[in-house]
Amino acid sequence: MIELVNTSRWYGQVIGINDVTCHVGPGITALLGPNGAGKSTMMKLITGQLRPTTGKVTVLGEKPFANPNVFRKLGYCPESESSYDTMTGREMVTMLAWMAGLTSSEIPARVSDTIEHVGMTYAADRKIGGYSKGMRQRIKIAQGIIHDPDVLLLDEPLNGLDPVARREVTGVLHGLADRGKCVVVSSHILYEVEQMTQDILLMHRGRLMAQGDIYQIRSLIDAHPHRIAITSDYSRKLASMLLESPDVLSARIDAEDATRLEIETRNPEKFYALFPELVLRNGLTIRRFYSPDNNLESVFKYLVNE
Amino acid sequence: MIDLYLVRSALRDLTRTRNLIAAAVLVLAPGLLIWFLRLVALNRGGQFDYAAVYSLMSEKVVFGFVMVILSLVFCTSVVAQEVENKTIVYLLTRPIPRYRIITVKFVPALLVTLVTVWTALIIAAFSAYGLSHIGSSPLKHDLLLAPIGVLAYGTVFLLLTTLLHRPLIYGLLYAFGWETWVPNMPGSFQRLSLMAYLRVLAPHSTPEAAEADITSVLTPQTQDVISSHIAWVVMITTIVVAFALALYTFSVREYVPRDAE
Repeated sequence: MIELVNTSRWYGQVIGINDVTCHVGPGITALLGPNGAGKSTMMKLITGQLRPTTGKVTVLGEKPFANPNVFRKLGYCPESESSYDTMTGREMVTMLAWMAGLTSSEIPARVSDTIEHVGMTYAADRKIGGYSKGMRQRIKIAQGIIHDPDVLLLDEPLNGLDPVARREVTGVLHGLADRGKCVVVSSHILYEVEQMTQDILLMHRGRLMAQGDIYQIRSLIDAHPHRIAITSDYSRKLASMLLESPDVLSARIDAEDATRLEIETRNPEKFYALFPELVLRNGLTIRRFYSPDNNLESVFKYLVNE
Repeated sequence: MIDLYLVRSALRDLTRTRNLIAAAVLVLAPGLLIWFLRLVALNRGGQFDYAAVYSLMSEKVVFGFVMVILSLVFCTSVVAQEVENKTIVYLLTRPIPRYRIITVKFVPALLVTLVTVWTALIIAAFSAYGLSHIGSSPLKHDLLLAPIGVLAYGTVFLLLTTLLHRPLIYGLLYAFGWETWVPNMPGSFQRLSLMAYLRVLAPHSTPEAAEADITSVLTPQTQDVISSHIAWVVMITTIVVAFALALYTFSVREYVPRDAE
C-alpha cells in the first residue's frame, strides 16, 4: 500500500531521511525512532506534503504529492496540536468531512458516529480552543478516520492521552487494521506501540535501520546476545548446569538478589527448547522467567548502539 | 456544495468580532474625518467644499488606505493564517485540487474587502454631499471601480502569501512604501504602481493645495500621463497574471510549518 524506493529528503544541508526503501502493507505498522530520526519527514512524504529530493514514494500505486486520488483514500493525523480553535470539534470534523468528499446526507450521522468512536461526544460542541491536549488528539484522530480511509497515518497519536483514552484509541486502530486497512503510527515512546503492534520500521538519523517483526529483528541481532532472566531458589545450581550448554555464553547471579540469574545466549530458540527439559529433569522450581530483550526498548538500543 | 460550505466557513472566520471591529473603524474613519472638516469649516465661517473633501477622502483614504490595508490583511490570511496556525496540513491532505482550495478561500476575502470598501465610500459620500447633493457625487463611479482595485490588490497579495513566509511584512512594505512613493516619482516610474492606474480609472479632482507635497513640487512637469485604456489593460493583466501565478504556486509549493522540518 505504501512504498518508498531509495527515498531521500533534504532540507538544504539538513537531512530529513536518507535512502529509505521500504514497503508497508495492511495492518498496524509502527514507525519508531528518537526525535529527529526522520519519522515526521517520512510521514509528510507519504501524505504528499513534501516531495522526495531523490527516489520515489507511492501510496496505493500513485505519487502522493498534491494528488486528490491518493487523499481520497488516505487519512492523516498530524503531530501538531494546532486545530481550528474557533470552531467546535464537531464543526472541524464536519468541515473536513465535506472536504474529504462525503455527501451532505451521510455527513451528520458519520460525524456523530466518529466523534463517539473517539470518545468525544460529551465535548463535541465546545470550542477546540478550550480543549485539553488529549481532547485535541481525539478530534484530530476523528478527522483522520471520518472518511474511512484505506491508509491512515498518525503522527504521535497517543501523546497527551490518559491510559483509558490510549486503550480506546488503540482499539479504534486495531479495528481499522482488522478490516484490512493500512495504519502507520509514529512514536518515539517504545512501550506505547509495543502494545499495539509487532511490525516496526525503525529509524535513526534519517536512515531506516530495521523493518519487520520486532522479535524477528531481535533474533537477527547476532552482535548482541539475547538475555534471559530467571528467578529461582536454585539459581547457582541452575547457572552451573546452563553453562554446560554451548549455546549459553554467560550466567550471572544478581548481586542484590541471589535468586535472580541472568544468562546470555546466541540461540534463544534452542535455549527455550532445552530449558523446560532441564528444569523438569532436575526437579527445580522456577518462580519467574522472562526476557528483558523482548521489548522494543532493548531492540532499539541494540540497533543504534547505545 | 463543498465550495459553498468552505466559503461560508471562511466568511465566518473573516467576520469574527476582532475583524469586524477593525473593519468598522476603517469604514467610519473617512466619514468621521469629513464631519470633522465640515465642523472646522463652519467654525471658521468658511465654505465647506464637499466635492473636494470627498475626492480627497475617496482617493487618499478609501482607495489609498482602506482598500489596500484590507486587501492586504484579508487576502494574505488566505494561506498565511493556515500556515501560521499549522492547520494547512488538514487542507492539503484532502481530495480537493489545491487551486480550488485557494480559490474558494480567496472569494470570501475579496467579498469582505469589497463590502467594507463600498461601505466606507457610501458613508464618506453621504457625509460629504449629504442626502440633497448625493446625486451629483462620483459615488456611483467609485463603487463601480472599487472591485477592480480590490481584485488587483487582492490578487497581488494572494500571490505574496503563496510565495513568502511572512507576506504581511512584505505586503506592508509594498503597500505603504512602494505604492506610496512610486506614483509620485518623476517620469514613467509611476507606471510601476497599481495605484497610479487606479487613479486614472477613478479620477478625483483633488485641490491644488492637497497635491502640493514635496515630490509633486519637485517633479510636476515630468509626470507621465497614463491613458485610461492602458490603465484598464494593466489592471486586468495584473489581476489575471497574479491570480494565475498564485494558483500555480499554491499547487506546486510545499507548505510545511517551519518548526516541523
